[in-house]
Amino acid sequence: MYVYRIMLFLVFGGYLLSPLLMSGWSTPGVAWYRPFAIWGVLIALTLWLEQKRKLDER
Amino acid sequence: MNASLASVFTLGIGFLSLMFLCALAVERGWLSRSVTRHPAVYTLALGVYASAWAIYGSLELAAGSGYGYLTYYLGAAGAFLLAPVLLVPIQRMARTHQLASLADLFAFRFRSRWVGTLITLISLLAVLPLLALQVQTLGDAIQRMTGAGSPALLALVLCTLIALFAMIFGTRHGKGPARHDTLLAVIAFTSVVKLVAMLALGAFALFVVFDGPADLQIWLDGPGQAYQASVMQPDAAHWRTLLLLFFATALLMPHIFHITFAETLSRHTLLQASWSLPLFLLLMALPVPLILWAGQRLGSHEVASAAYLAFGLSDAFWIQALAFLAGLAASSGTMVIIAMALSGMILNHMLLVAHPPEAQPNLYRWLRWLRRALMAGVILGGWLFYRTVGVHHDLTTLGLAAFVGMAQCLPGLLALLYWPGANRKGMVSGLVVGVLIWLAGLWLPLLTGLPTLLLIPPGLELLVGEPDWYVVTLVSLALNILVFIIVSLATPTSEGERAAAEACSVDAVIRPKRLPLIATNGEEFKQPLAQVLGEDVAQREVERALTDLGMSPLDGRPYALRRLRDRIQANLSGLMGPSVAQDIVDRYLPYRRSGQEPTDDIHFVESRLEAYRSRLTGLARELDGLRRYHRRILARLPVGLCAFGVDDELLMWNDALAELSGIDGASVVGSRRDGLPPPWGELLGRALNEPNDHLYKQPVELKGSVRYLTFHRAELQADDDVRGGTVILIEDHSEMKWLEDELVHAARLASIGQLAAGVAHEIGNPVTGISSLAQNLRYDTDDPEVLETARQIQQLTDRISRIVGSLVGFAHGGRHVKGSVLAPVSIAAIADEALHLIRLARSGEDVRYRNLCPAELEVLGDAQRLQQVMINLLSNARDASEPEGEVVIDAEPAGDMLKVTVTDEGHGLDDRVREHLFEPFTTTKPPGEGTGLGLPLVYSIVAEHHGRIEIESPPPGQERGTRICLWLPTERQDGEHTDEPDTDR
Repeated sequence: MYVYRIMLFLVFGGYLLSPLLMSGWSTPGVAWYRPFAIWGVLIALTLWLEQKRKLDER
Repeated sequence: MNASLASVFTLGIGFLSLMFLCALAVERGWLSRSVTRHPAVYTLALGVYASAWAIYGSLELAAGSGYGYLTYYLGAAGAFLLAPVLLVPIQRMARTHQLASLADLFAFRFRSRWVGTLITLISLLAVLPLLALQVQTLGDAIQRMTGAGSPALLALVLCTLIALFAMIFGTRHGKGPARHDTLLAVIAFTSVVKLVAMLALGAFALFVVFDGPADLQIWLDGPGQAYQASVMQPDAAHWRTLLLLFFATALLMPHIFHITFAETLSRHTLLQASWSLPLFLLLMALPVPLILWAGQRLGSHEVASAAYLAFGLSDAFWIQALAFLAGLAASSGTMVIIAMALSGMILNHMLLVAHPPEAQPNLYRWLRWLRRALMAGVILGGWLFYRTVGVHHDLTTLGLAAFVGMAQCLPGLLALLYWPGANRKGMVSGLVVGVLIWLAGLWLPLLTGLPTLLLIPPGLELLVGEPDWYVVTLVSLALNILVFIIVSLATPTSEGERAAAEACSVDAVIRPKRLPLIATNGEEFKQPLAQVLGEDVAQREVERALTDLGMSPLDGRPYALRRLRDRIQANLSGLMGPSVAQDIVDRYLPYRRSGQEPTDDIHFVESRLEAYRSRLTGLARELDGLRRYHRRILARLPVGLCAFGVDDELLMWNDALAELSGIDGASVVGSRRDGLPPPWGELLGRALNEPNDHLYKQPVELKGSVRYLTFHRAELQADDDVRGGTVILIEDHSEMKWLEDELVHAARLASIGQLAAGVAHEIGNPVTGISSLAQNLRYDTDDPEVLETARQIQQLTDRISRIVGSLVGFAHGGRHVKGSVLAPVSIAAIADEALHLIRLARSGEDVRYRNLCPAELEVLGDAQRLQQVMINLLSNARDASEPEGEVVIDAEPAGDMLKVTVTDEGHGLDDRVREHLFEPFTTTKPPGEGTGLGLPLVYSIVAEHHGRIEIESPPPGQERGTRICLWLPTERQDGEHTDEPDTDR
């Protein structure tokens, strides 16, 4: 249950904060891959939560 | 623009041939199952989400709104991140009730065939622009590569091949998972092709057009700024609206719904997709800006043509081929699955609803060809829409028109899962309002080329000047939700809808009612179904459902028949949609109407709870743990227990009762009381109808012997929260009954024994007198005949005295006398004396006895009590022996003990009896013939003498029979004392 709550938090938090990603497009000095790196971290976090959920269900 | 039409045609045909080959390889088993069922295949199949929009539309959107294009990917990633709370419940419903489409789901939840028709119609209208987008990108890509003026014909050829593929592989009635494997593998193949092509194009842009990441960053910070400045970044509200739209798209678009729920059989793979699909989408999204920036660096400035920038990266054929293949792979996968999904929806919710199926000679074939025709029609419809409408619009306009339309179903879907109070009128009203706004605001302008027909209402002037898609999305969804809520709250909800709402709700467990069916077993389902499905199909469907449930066709339990009916409905739902399936079972497999109020099917609820266990969390999990604990207490109760509902349906049959009756609980739970195997139906009926709550010691023949069962009944009073019923405890009182009988018998024997001892005592006096008179006679006469007579009289009176003495001695021998003195006694003499008494009995006269004990062997003991031991052992040996059998008594020294054996040739003892032989009241003799106290007494007396006893059955060297071995001391033991407590049992 806690894992699901974290996922809900991630999704709605992401929904509210995601417009910040756009700022990197035309800002000089900001790495072009920044949104993808953040996205990659979120995927890693989800993978970790999924493993945790599997352990919980055992 | 250097490729010929022939080479592009060959490329297209080659790719589609590979799709056919891939499908064949899976179907024929050329590819191992470990490959085709790998979770990665499923993730890649979900990549069908990345349609031609992801290849070309994203470039167009990125050129116009920068990172705004990411919303397409992030929206879907968000939907899959919520898989455990959003997708898994839908998948569970889809699997349980065989719901293959969004229309099936809505029709099932809102209990109306017309709801399914409405959803199908909306899906069709929404999907047409998306299909046109796929065809248009094919046509445009061919034009970019070849410069052909009108690529529509070639696009039509490719569409025809795609339709052919869908018709061949999309309607195979393969057995279960095989069909899923083929489709998933083919779609996964198309996903691999588009991913590899996009990554290759991205790598080309990054490392060939630019000189690596550092060069790209320098360009972006320098000359690239001029290009970025022209980008109209969406504001936060636009961004969030786009995210919401694509979130809805990932859930609702028919092709994605189909792959996610109809083709996926495992919850685990769906949960795995919560991270693996976002990863796939990340890899698909990553090359988009690289290709865009590379195109801009090479001199492309036009946003309008940005969709096809990949073709401009190089004149090399392979780069253009990659860009074409990426689009073709995306389009073909999307079109195949859309055709499959929509054809099913149109068939089930339009054609079959308008014209219900009649008994066809081959219903399956008829339905298959109908679907094939519809698939071809759907793809052809997409091509026609492209020819008449699509060519005039950019990809963003086409895509958004489709996505906003499907998003109108989002409120209904969320309510379906999380708002049991939602009803059909509310959902339909909201949906119609939302769809009308969408049609007027986006779809009709798309068709007619006119400006949007939507008027901004007063109070919403802040929306003036905003893009049409944004205004339509906000207004349509807001009004849709508002009307939905108001109408749902204001109108009543039907009973059927409420039940379906509980079945769909995430937090609720289905509580179906226990209604009896008219049919009394599985076989009787076939005939009524044959009226609508035809005999062959009816038989196959019933047998399929029986196989699915592992049920016997003759199983007549009401519970099992209800499950069979549900299963048939679910299977027919997969074939013809939930509306038609429900109509068929309601009409042809009706419930029997009785005046009684139906109650909840507790057994079914419990079985569902067992299945959901891993999904329960927090308080629900704790409560379920308690439920399991209490259930286990009842199940493991060492007394038989069963429970009946108010309608006499059996709800529980615990382990002890299963052992007592020899009937497994799983085979009878769900039966009606009168359907229980004899004698239980009649017995429990008596217990239920007994005026008192108890029924004592009822004789029942079980497993070949008579048992005496006592029934205790308790009524469960029903109230608002607790269901009514009856619980019955069944105790096996056979041993107690037998013990009572034995005690009566033993008391009778004891009184006879006392009488015998008294009689013996009374006989002693006259016998002594007779002996004395005989003695006197010998002194009074010299007549040899009289003397001989007197001697014989004396001999006979001596014999009478010995018998009387033995009887009196035995009568006293059963009691242990404190302070008795142990003395050396001859075991041979004891055996002789015992044999003497044994022979007095009338039974066993034809058994032969041999006393082989050497006369000189003595043991230290109480002669009277040892004699009783010997009598008991000999008595048992005699009773066990056949006529003419032999009983041998022998003795031999064994160290400081004497081993005495009594061996018979009787029937022997089985292991089960031998374990309890020294326990009181254990006997192998028929009732009334043995007390079961003999051997415990023997054991007790031998223990008093510090000896031990063993049983060999059969004895070594003999095929049958029993040998009792006693070890008795020949010398006084250390610490021996004679004043031991009374050990009589």
